[in-house]
Amino acid sequence: MIHSHDSVIVRTLGRIVIPVAQLFGVYVLVFGQYGPGGGFVGGVVLAASMILANLIYGLDTKDTWLSRMVLHGDGLGLLLFAGVGGLCLIGGGVYLNYANLQVPGLDEASRRYLGILLTQIGVALDVAVTGVSISISLSADDEDDAEDEPFRA
Amino acid sequence: MSMGMSILLFLIPFVAGVALPIVTARRSAWRQPIALGAIALMTLVAAYNLRIVLTQGPIEYALGGWAAPIGIAWLNDSLAAVVVLAVSTVSLLTLVYGRVVVPARLERSVSYYTLILVLLAGLVGIVFAADLFNLFVFLEVSALAAYALVGASGGKGAVYAFRYLLLGSLGASLYLLGVGHLYVATGTLNMADLATRIPDLLTSTAVAGGLIYIFLGLSIKMALIPLHGWLPDAYQNAPETVSPLLASTVTKVALVAWVRIEYSLILPGAEVSAVPVLVLLEEVGVLAAVVGGALALIQTDLKRMFAYGGIGHVGLILVGVSLGNATGFAGGIFYLLNDSVMQAVLFMIAGALVHGHGVRTLDDLRAMGRPSPWLTGALIVVAVGMVGLPPTGGFFGKWNIVLGALEAEHYLAAFSVVASTLLTLGYFVRVFAAWFHRPGATSAEAPMAPGSLMASLGVASVALIALGIFSDPIFKVLIDFVSGGGI
Repeated sequence: MIHSHDSVIVRTLGRIVIPVAQLFGVYVLVFGQYGPGGGFVGGVVLAASMILANLIYGLDTKDTWLSRMVLHGDGLGLLLFAGVGGLCLIGGGVYLNYANLQVPGLDEASRRYLGILLTQIGVALDVAVTGVSISISLSADDEDDAEDEPFRA
Repeated sequence: MSMGMSILLFLIPFVAGVALPIVTARRSAWRQPIALGAIALMTLVAAYNLRIVLTQGPIEYALGGWAAPIGIAWLNDSLAAVVVLAVSTVSLLTLVYGRVVVPARLERSVSYYTLILVLLAGLVGIVFAADLFNLFVFLEVSALAAYALVGASGGKGAVYAFRYLLLGSLGASLYLLGVGHLYVATGTLNMADLATRIPDLLTSTAVAGGLIYIFLGLSIKMALIPLHGWLPDAYQNAPETVSPLLASTVTKVALVAWVRIEYSLILPGAEVSAVPVLVLLEEVGVLAAVVGGALALIQTDLKRMFAYGGIGHVGLILVGVSLGNATGFAGGIFYLLNDSVMQAVLFMIAGALVHGHGVRTLDDLRAMGRPSPWLTGALIVVAVGMVGLPPTGGFFGKWNIVLGALEAEHYLAAFSVVASTLLTLGYFVRVFAAWFHRPGATSAEAPMAPGSLMASLGVASVALIALGIFSDPIFKVLIDFVSGGGI
């Protein structure tokens, strides 16, 4: 578990930096369509902002069902990626060929745009969750009490 | 739809694997059936895929619709289809077997089933990849899953899993370094492109060095002697359900990856500074086959013995595919398919002995009461296959390797097959001597094996014999693959 930091300077700065970092993460993710950036980098920035938040404000050690589910987000991210690819396959095209996404009312360019954006969101989600869960695993200081998963820590 | 079979074969285990934690978050009893169902579906698709490939010829799949030199291509040819079918069948058998002997902590663990499915997805990717870098990515996907699986039940296994991780990462780095060399020298990573450019460039030290790095990296992954150090400890200490799966898939698929590279990039008779490359590889294989067999002979722990036996067979297969003629190549690949099933059966038997009787070493075996007749029967069949006697597939594999060696007039290679056979016979004699030794007058009834164990051992033994009986059509497919130019 991570204890919160008690310096006023750190806490106040964190309040300013973290939202900016998260906004920047989302910007990098979306901007990946037009220039350098994309899901992976955006996900790393998002993960960094969340790890920073953990370090500054501490980690609530309450092991709730939701907190465990959130850490399965990497599965969700990969599913989003594989799912969008699979939809292209079902749409009669080649895997990950977004032109075959069957979305009514969109021309080919917009369909490709949508497909790439969705897969990049999946990648970003995956990277962000993985980053956060690595930092949590590293900070788990003692053996977890009888859990059903043998190698969580 | 026949176009997308390769991606479908990848997506089935992959989607099932990543969806498993979410779908079964609160229903832990569903994990095993879902994993089993996904792999069964994959096996069916793999069988159908083989049929399609045999009727339509190789199918190239361009991911995202970007054609090969620019985009990423997957090649679904008869070699890939056969190997994928073998891998998925063997995994299905080991998972069925896992219903009996899985350690209590793993039985409902979501990580365990997810890792198995992701491992399979990675292996499928390795087999289909027609691009050196893509191959690297899947090599790492499957390797990371394998490291975690070895350490899955903690304890000593975790230590050896860590060692496996260190050595495996070294192997991956060497491979990547080699890929870098080839990319700088040729400007492409696509295997078909490389195949047209490499043969003229073999005089360049960058290319030769790159190929050596790739070979060293994959040698660690396939546990070729002398780079086999991680394997016996890892398989000995892995959970009982994991060692059959890893022994029959991971090393074999790494070998398939090398075979693909060797086959498309190194032409028969290719020389680097007057050293014939294929002959050199063959000598490495000869060394591995003989040393692996000899090391197996001196083991007292059953799992280690079988692990060294598998290491020796990797050498034997390398001998077969490096002979430079179609007979030897087909023999090597056919032996690889057989070995995959044989390793699975051997580790299943060893695992069932540990689980049911607490038997780990030959001494324990000597002191053991009567084992289930199913175990005895499967052991006899697999021993016949390992030694290489006619009704099983093992014979036809070794026979063709020897024929190929004689055809190429490489008598050392032919000798190594015979030597390896004798060594195999040697360690099986030791196992059988202990197996049929009865301490005192124990007349207790032999215990019945559980249903899943009977099913998996029975099907695998039948498969070993069936591979022998139907060796002709399989050889025809493999010979066609070689003469068809393959990649």
